[in-house]
Amino acid sequence: MTPALRPRSLFIALGLLLALALWGSLALGPVSLPLGETLQAALRLLGLPLGGSELNQAQLIVGQIRMPRTLLGLAVGAVLALCGVAMQGLFRNPLADPGLIGVSSGAALGAAIAIVGGAAFGGIPEAIAPYLLSLCAFVGGLAVTALVYRLGRRDGLTSVVTMLLAGIALNALAFACIGLFTYLADDATLRTLTFWNLGSLNGASYARLWPLLLVAFAVALWLPRRARALNALLLGESEARHLGFEVERLKRELVFCTALGVGAAVAAAGMIGFIGLVVPHLVRLLVGPDHRVLLPASMLAGASLLLLADLAARLVLAPAELPIGIVTALIGAPFFLYLLIRGR
Amino acid sequence: MGVTNVSVSIGRRRLGPALALLAALAWLPGARADDALPQRWVSAGGSISEWVVALGGEDRLVGVDTTSLHPASLQELPSIGYQRQLAAEGILALRPDLLLGSEEMGPPPVLEQLRAAGVRLETLSAQADLATLEDNLTRLGALLGEPQRARQALAAFRSRLEAQEAWIAQAQRSQEAPGVLLLLGHPGGSAMAAGPDTAAAWLIERAGGRNLTTHSGYKALSSEALLALDPDVVIFTDRRLLEADEARQALLRQNPALASTRAAREGRLVALDPTLLVGGLGPRVPEGLAALSAAFYPASSPLPAETTPAR
Amino acid sequence: MLQAEALSIHRGGRTVLEGVDLALQPGRVLGVLGPNGAGKSTLLGALSGELAPAHGHVRLHGRPLEQWSGSERARCLAVLPQSSTLSFGFRVEEVVGMGRLPHATGLVCDREIVEAALRAADAAHLFGRSYLALSGGERQRVHLARVLAQLWPGAQGQTLLLDEPTSMLDPLHQHSILQATRAFAAQGAAVLVILHDLNLAARYCDRLLLLQDGRPQALGSPDEVLRPEPLKQVFGLDVLIQRHPEQGHPLIVVR
Repeated sequence: MTPALRPRSLFIALGLLLALALWGSLALGPVSLPLGETLQAALRLLGLPLGGSELNQAQLIVGQIRMPRTLLGLAVGAVLALCGVAMQGLFRNPLADPGLIGVSSGAALGAAIAIVGGAAFGGIPEAIAPYLLSLCAFVGGLAVTALVYRLGRRDGLTSVVTMLLAGIALNALAFACIGLFTYLADDATLRTLTFWNLGSLNGASYARLWPLLLVAFAVALWLPRRARALNALLLGESEARHLGFEVERLKRELVFCTALGVGAAVAAAGMIGFIGLVVPHLVRLLVGPDHRVLLPASMLAGASLLLLADLAARLVLAPAELPIGIVTALIGAPFFLYLLIRGR
Repeated sequence: MGVTNVSVSIGRRRLGPALALLAALAWLPGARADDALPQRWVSAGGSISEWVVALGGEDRLVGVDTTSLHPASLQELPSIGYQRQLAAEGILALRPDLLLGSEEMGPPPVLEQLRAAGVRLETLSAQADLATLEDNLTRLGALLGEPQRARQALAAFRSRLEAQEAWIAQAQRSQEAPGVLLLLGHPGGSAMAAGPDTAAAWLIERAGGRNLTTHSGYKALSSEALLALDPDVVIFTDRRLLEADEARQALLRQNPALASTRAAREGRLVALDPTLLVGGLGPRVPEGLAALSAAFYPASSPLPAETTPAR
Repeated sequence: MLQAEALSIHRGGRTVLEGVDLALQPGRVLGVLGPNGAGKSTLLGALSGELAPAHGHVRLHGRPLEQWSGSERARCLAVLPQSSTLSFGFRVEEVVGMGRLPHATGLVCDREIVEAALRAADAAHLFGRSYLALSGGERQRVHLARVLAQLWPGAQGQTLLLDEPTSMLDPLHQHSILQATRAFAAQGAAVLVILHDLNLAARYCDRLLLLQDGRPQALGSPDEVLRPEPLKQVFGLDVLIQRHPEQGHPLIVVR
């Protein structure tokens, strides 16, 4: 279990991986573009005046389809991995996952309400309709997490164990409600719900991107500042307190940050499993559990792996595409089992 | 992709009138000069694709969705996935001029991206009724440049349904309309019965049966409810359940409730191609109806088979 | 200096600690003795600020404990809980290095302190190993090194609270660890240590506090506290008190 890499070599490797993933995400797709045009389109995106004013197809595909999709993938992957680290720190368990505090099931419930309810009642104002699903998913995730957190509190202290149990119970309750909506749904909405639960970066657009980018920036800036406190928290809550950290505030911040981050990611891209669980685990195997390295490294690895998974999702069945949640689970689940067996 | 940096939207505007002019000079004086007909089509929707083929447009199709299964030759085309989960770039890779689909087609941001890339989007309704079909066929005829053929296809479709109605009216003089249930999915689990608001109910009523359910959509039906409804005819959407004798016996053994319905006792278990149930009225609907009617009214001699229109 | 005045703690409607007056003295080791459930760990919890007193105060350098900011307090008060569960594969020096988190003394200085603290806890040979690969006793010594590093080098004005630091150690290490604790106190720090072994307490503590049912029964030098009557009363044990032939401290033998 001794880490195999020095942080510096890891960051170099992850930087290269991210560059590779970015290049792939922008340069590859069902439409094969000559490299020169891709480069030209990418440069033009950066605002370089390269002559010619008309929007050619390369610019359209790179600028309007692949670029927003790449940014979405970057943000979702980074946020899911960071929040995975935060949850594994909060629960002091390397097998914890953001789903434990109810944010995923809450978001799924919100989505089910939006998809089934929206189809059933109609009459939603035009201006809100395209954002209804994301909004409901985000609010659902925050609401269930807030409830889990509330149930975990007693006498001004937050019991992580109670939160874990409350999370299990509320997850079950949320899934029961989703089941109810599934029962009420007609065929078409049912398929929409199913596909949403499998996640996708398809259809990303700049207009819908900025809330997530904002949240991703906030999470990426804030969480690494808590790296030392998270290290101390791994020793135990009272140990962290004796080392001078305000543990109650830290727990509250971690829960809030995860609810916000995962809520926004799920709202933008649907359910994408295993990134939050497997990426921190993998990085920990490579460089050890020190959060000062683990957090930024997981962020880079999560973003890269999600971009690569998305690349697979759009190329494997082209011109159709695979929901990305299937790709991450197909790769993540066996890897996770491998870790379990190896660690025994 | 040889022509990728030809500007898509602007290029068409420049080239369009020129081509149209050439066409007008070379071809009939009736050729429309305002818009060249779309040549590369992607179709998302089973019965829409079927109609395109029926109207002679199969060579225009460059891609279809996963519900386009008939005729079988469509399955050779690149698949663009499920109609509600289209991928913009995948479709653009097929370089289509036109994307055809039902109102279920989506997601909306992808449709916007496609529109921005200069793909023409045509939305046809998937509702199962004749007015919708008329509208859809008229538009397909215009898009194909074959309005006459579309009119003929519609007339043929109509006349077959009328003949069907007359036949049912005749048959009902000697036999009461049977009570019918359509069960979706594998009956080893709990099968889903079609409610009165489904396309299945439309087919049942048109074929002269009475749909027995009252719930909306497709809902699981308990064994007791099945017994209580006691259908005269049960329709399954899986042909394999009924084709071989052993399969049929196994089905009845596994479902005692089903076995004791009048339908099972009298051997009136019927199979229906499930693709007839989705995406609106396709060209195979009259045949399907005729087959159902024949099963509903076994005593009457079946309607003489007609050739499918225009194919 | 850490002081408790008329300290009482309630838990779940019960009084689990009552009327404790205590002042830790610089350079001295105070041992806390008592049967299971006597309130030893509760006392440590109250002294470290984990448990809020129902009555009375805990003051650090004359200022109520709750008025101290976390990191300020952590620089002069370190606590070793009974057992720590750490399920992540930190290296030994990283665990000990966490003791330096409240300080900003720089990498080089911290590394020297970590090495010194590991040596003091007789764990220098564990440097570089993964924490998860250690035995229970080795882990306990690593955690002791961590709290030593937190206060290193242990000057006057600093306080160290240890909850049964020897519970998982072999006899040799029980002695070496308590010797290290004494040496640390000799630099000027005040130390409170909860112990179960009466003879270890007799040998290494300057003063002893005997707790029973949350109440202090005796507080004084080992000679004053380790007498047959109080021990009979508190532990229900009939003992003989002898003298250590070389060191001269009381030696408790069960009859």
